[in-house]
Amino acid sequence: MEGADTGGNTYLIRPNYHHKFKAAVVKECIRDILREQLSGVQYDPDEVGVLSRSLADCIKDKLKDVGFDRYKLVVQVVIGEQRGEGVKMAARCFWDADTDSYAQDIFMNDSLFCVAAAFGSYFY
Amino acid sequence: MDEFQLSEETVETTIGSSAYQQNRINQWTSSVVETSLNQLSKLGKPFKYIVTCIILQKNGAGLHTASSCFWDNTMDRSCTVRWENKTTYCIVCVFGLAV
Repeated sequence: MEGADTGGNTYLIRPNYHHKFKAAVVKECIRDILREQLSGVQYDPDEVGVLSRSLADCIKDKLKDVGFDRYKLVVQVVIGEQRGEGVKMAARCFWDADTDSYAQDIFMNDSLFCVAAAFGSYFY
Repeated sequence: MDEFQLSEETVETTIGSSAYQQNRINQWTSSVVETSLNQLSKLGKPFKYIVTCIILQKNGAGLHTASSCFWDNTMDRSCTVRWENKTTYCIVCVFGLAV
């Protein structure tokens, strides 16, 4: 077909089982990164902005290495100060449930809490 | 952007001017997110949507949100709506991924 000749899209409408976005694997990756980067860190208003961005980039790069080809990735990181306030985060997605998935993890210590969510959307 | 206005209106109509209440917060977040998603899907554009909502009590504490995306820059977009009243902050992020 044309795909092979022009080097264009190969139009696979379903990923192979091995290439599926595996929530458990991704959750482990996120957990490791959060533990490594946030253990012993105190909430500092000046640095937190930079820290959250770098965490998001770090998680995204790690997921790219794991090898979810043909997946578009969206990683969201929320870091907040622990002051006893109430927080609730919710997400809903309008996508193809067969191919797309997400994973999330939470890290807490005495001075901050961090929620990281990674969404993977298959690119047909 | 359509999505931006849609999300703003949705938050306004769902939470309006209610004060923060621990027992209703589950219902609010779900409702904001589901209503936004319904409205977005009615737009009929060839996009997959991811909507996240964070509701936070005003307590003097700080909060930062960051997101990093691996996608097609020409076709995919995101937008964030921040809304507040006297007792609550609400942050809604909408990501649109082209099919």
